[in-house]
Amino acid sequence: MTATTAASRRARPTAHRPADAGGPTLPRVVAAQWTALTSLRSSWWAAALTVVVSGVLTHLSAQASSVDPGFDPLGSLTSGVVLSQVPPLVLGVLVGTGDFSTGAFRTTYVAVPRRWPVLVAQTVATAAFALLTAVAAVAAAVLALLPSARSRDIALDLGRDGTPQTLVGMTLLLTAIALLGLAIGALVRRSVPALTAAVLLVLVLPVVLLLATDLSTDPLAPATGGVPPAVAVVNTVVAFLPSGAGALLTADVVVEGAPDLGPWGGGLVLAAWIALPLAAAALRLRTRDVV
Amino acid sequence: MGGVPATATARRARPARDPRPRGVTLGRVVASEADKLTSLRSTGWLALATVAAAAATAWGLGMFARPEPGASGAPIAVAGAVLSQLGFLVLGARTGADEYRSGTARSTFAAVPRRLPVLAGQALVTAAAAPVVAVTALGAAVAATAGLRAAAGLALDVTDPETARLLAGFVLHQTGVALVGLGLGALVRRPDAALVAGVLALVVLDHLLATNPGRVADTARALLPGAGARVLLDDGRLDALAAGSLGPHPGPWSGYLVLAAWAAALLAAAAYRLRRGDVT
Repeated sequence: MTATTAASRRARPTAHRPADAGGPTLPRVVAAQWTALTSLRSSWWAAALTVVVSGVLTHLSAQASSVDPGFDPLGSLTSGVVLSQVPPLVLGVLVGTGDFSTGAFRTTYVAVPRRWPVLVAQTVATAAFALLTAVAAVAAAVLALLPSARSRDIALDLGRDGTPQTLVGMTLLLTAIALLGLAIGALVRRSVPALTAAVLLVLVLPVVLLLATDLSTDPLAPATGGVPPAVAVVNTVVAFLPSGAGALLTADVVVEGAPDLGPWGGGLVLAAWIALPLAAAALRLRTRDVV
Repeated sequence: MGGVPATATARRARPARDPRPRGVTLGRVVASEADKLTSLRSTGWLALATVAAAAATAWGLGMFARPEPGASGAPIAVAGAVLSQLGFLVLGARTGADEYRSGTARSTFAAVPRRLPVLAGQALVTAAAAPVVAVTALGAAVAATAGLRAAAGLALDVTDPETARLLAGFVLHQTGVALVGLGLGALVRRPDAALVAGVLALVVLDHLLATNPGRVADTARALLPGAGARVLLDDGRLDALAAGSLGPHPGPWSGYLVLAAWAAALLAAAAYRLRRGDVT
């Protein structure tokens, strides 16, 4: 019995299957990571939270400003983006650290001994999941503008100058933040330190740097012309942080004192924030033990 | 073989001779929780990173301060609080939640079946460890900004009530944040979830509400745990904050009471869950 099974198993590759069908090909690893991502309840919670937060905050902001005389509903479009990037960030960190915090990485890397396809597949799966979430979140933000726009009889014109860029930029920003979380998570491998680093970089540092401008300017002094050098330094640093670069993606704003990167420059800065930790994670995966 | 009965006799005989009480006392639970915290190498790294963050931020932000002779140097010395409070949040969240993640909570609650002493012990240990780290961080920040203060002519006079409030407020605020982290960690039982919730409540929501002012937003802002940071604002900035707010404007100490109330409420909710729910 046993001998027959063993013999047939040994015979199978040459007899019935093409030679390369048995290994962990990249599409198969991607499929495995997609299953790993979508079979966790926390992923769907993160996706739902992103959409809900985006819709509710945009709705509240548009409602609050709809009483202004010069109300422009599209002006409130990005008001939910600061908070709705938190669930994708957490999702990315959890995808990057999940294998290591549960011990499932042993199985994963036995199945894929070359290791790097796992990281590539996690990136692809997270990007796809986050992109779908981001599209839904941006759609929710647009829908949330409708009640307040209708109350003032203003038609929403999404083709107007700058709006397509804002819509695409918001979608890309939410996707990129998830990938940033993944990159930090894959590099650090432990969820609490990785989450601390990600939260610090994306959410807390911009607020701390705002304090710097606060300290350098007198809150009660009248505004004078020109940009103080301290403000210029702070704004330059902020523009090169993930959140500042992401803000450049969503709107064509000129931040005083900061180099004018434009949406493409902002996108490149954000891409570098993803690529560098991801490359470091790949290097760690390739040259060090998986523990 | 003959040794077994002898040992058993000795073991049975010991309680009569030993005057110490057996069983679980709060003091022993506190000692075991202190052991758990101090025996982890990551606690030392966390404390070190927190102190470094407080000192480095104070030094970095101090470079932006406008030299105004005669002004207090205290706002610069405590400027690292926003960043370093993350370390205290992690300290509390890990103390409260790590045992549930690693599974050692089973042994802990088998040893302390009444459960609540564990949470009390964790609260006491956190309330003792956080001020130690905070005082060290404050000392490092004061030392790191000494050169800046001398160059800008900023005085650090501890007898000045405002300066004393800011320096004491730093230690009290960070301890409060650590207890909020402990409450969140013990309530949700996952350190990562507690950390995200804490950062949202302390930093992100406060910032978001500050950029969208209004009566509702300002009221919510005064009632969030982030209101505790008012104890770290000098009088001029408190006046500016009150002038720009449409909601209630709590003073520095009532703001701190809001933070303390959050910590107490979260710990009470965690105690309720611990008492009434399952521990798995």
